[in-house]
Amino acid sequence: MSTTILGEANARRLSGPQPPDPATKVSPKRISASLVSSNLVLAIIGVLFAIPLLWMVLASVDSNAKWYISWPHFTLANFGTSLQNGRGFSLGISVELAVIATLVATIAGTLAAYAFSRRHLPWKGPLLLMVLFLSGVPINIIIIPIYQIFSQFGWLTVAPTGVFLGVTALPFEIWIIKNFIDSVPGELEEAARIEGARTPMILWRLVLPLSAPGIGAAAIFGFINAWGAFLVPLVLISDSTHQPGSVQLYGFISAAAINYGDIAAFSVLYSLPVLALYLIMNRAFRGGFVLSGAIKG
Amino acid sequence: MTIGTASVGPSGAIVAQGDAPSGRRLDKVRFQWSTPLLLLPAAILIAGVFLYGVAYSIYLGFTNLSLLGPTAQDYQWTGMANIDRMLHDPVFYKSLWLTALFVGSGVVGGTFFGLAIAVLMRRTLMGLRFLAGGAAMIAFMLPPVTIAILWYAASVSGGTFAVLTGNSAAQPLFAAPLLFTSIANMWSLTGLTMLLFGAALRNIPADLDEAASLEGAGPARRFFSLTLPLLKPTIVTSALLLTILSLANFAIIWLMTQGGPQDATMILPVYSYQQGFGFNNLAYGALLGNVMILLSALLGFAIVRATVGRTRRKRKAIA
Repeated sequence: MSTTILGEANARRLSGPQPPDPATKVSPKRISASLVSSNLVLAIIGVLFAIPLLWMVLASVDSNAKWYISWPHFTLANFGTSLQNGRGFSLGISVELAVIATLVATIAGTLAAYAFSRRHLPWKGPLLLMVLFLSGVPINIIIIPIYQIFSQFGWLTVAPTGVFLGVTALPFEIWIIKNFIDSVPGELEEAARIEGARTPMILWRLVLPLSAPGIGAAAIFGFINAWGAFLVPLVLISDSTHQPGSVQLYGFISAAAINYGDIAAFSVLYSLPVLALYLIMNRAFRGGFVLSGAIKG
Repeated sequence: MTIGTASVGPSGAIVAQGDAPSGRRLDKVRFQWSTPLLLLPAAILIAGVFLYGVAYSIYLGFTNLSLLGPTAQDYQWTGMANIDRMLHDPVFYKSLWLTALFVGSGVVGGTFFGLAIAVLMRRTLMGLRFLAGGAAMIAFMLPPVTIAILWYAASVSGGTFAVLTGNSAAQPLFAAPLLFTSIANMWSLTGLTMLLFGAALRNIPADLDEAASLEGAGPARRFFSLTLPLLKPTIVTSALLLTILSLANFAIIWLMTQGGPQDATMILPVYSYQQGFGFNNLAYGALLGNVMILLSALLGFAIVRATVGRTRRKRKAIA
């Protein structure tokens, strides 16, 4: 940073007044028209982006909430009433769906990622490209054939829906975990092999703990993916009393009598787990690559 | 989210066979029988949903399957009937156009706002950075249903935007349905592009900017002649990601407007869903879904090509 300031000082001496360098810090002495307008534009963007969020937060604690933003008549009662009429139960269904999806995708994904990362495999390159390709295909769009298959087998319940949601996240999970296992030094595994460990042992005692941040991040992705799903559970779960929180939240605005405070409070309750998991995932990725010291050399 | 930055490389060290009887060479690469076993669960699941699902969807597109009524059970092969119907369906053509508008505005808006926030964050006050960056990140993290609810609340009659225009009975959402659903989509994607561009900007060496400013280039000149060209690979990556994510975001439209009013927001995935489960034409809906899958498959190829191409160039540069 100091070299930048020096460089600019030189530039100023050489060619007269210059606009401030973007990399320098804002200090009271260097305020210029361009800096003011930058701050102003960012403030406008920030406020516009915050308006919908602000409504959710304020209306959730307002006993007299409306669709528009207003200063709340403070209450916490909305959080209680928003969970009535089976909506608390629906969050339980959301957990069930997300846990099944996460387990399916993470277990199958870790095994496949390990094979892709460490094993000799014919056509490995094309297979990996196919995994990458499939992770970009929004497969939810072909919900119609899935519905037809599931209804033929009598699978229009929570557990098979969870499995399906897990599969939608599977290609991307394989991709994340494979990249993570790649970064674990292979020498550790060789050492374990020489000590006589076999594949299940190596997976359980070595790969799993060492790539835990990557597997955790992939699992969180799978969880969030299933938690946010709306059309899939709406179509694939035939019992309307076993719909997850996402469908219940939608039910609010299609209801005859709209209670704005309850909608906002339920939105907060439904969204908080996702926000928390993103923060955890962020930390896991930051603390991830500490294995470089595990081997000599 | 790392699709764009991931690289297809030689996959680390290939560990020699351990389950072999002692005395064999450990340094030889050999096929192991436990490998297919490890791949089996993922292979079954992916084949069952992706391959069988898509194949079955293609088949259903050539039948007269419906959700209710006699053809719900006894449906038959009807050949090109559905394709013929699609080619003469004005709503289909309209939905293609609306899909292009929805996705295009998501790509342009998401790129523009993400880049704008990332650039402005480098020279603005801490509190503003926190406000804009934090709001964009939370918007990106929220589940789709919450995004739809929040934008419905903001743009419906009596919502914040209606009140701001001075006429609280106005219906901004139904006056400009495509605009507000597109804004909701952009709003939810900007956090991602902000992260991508923030990282890319940090990787541009500061001395380049310094050199340009020594040569007397102003901030606008430096941005358009220096920063923007250097960001080109990131712009391509983020545009492809935004396209895929906009297509996957169709639940937002379904939640906010159900494709209406008068098909004004009937993008292709929503139309497929409406034909299948709203009008009970499962077969026709499946065909429309197939068109959508075909389009996103082409995009998927573009992503893979971009990723592989970049990795090859990188390797060449290193070698």
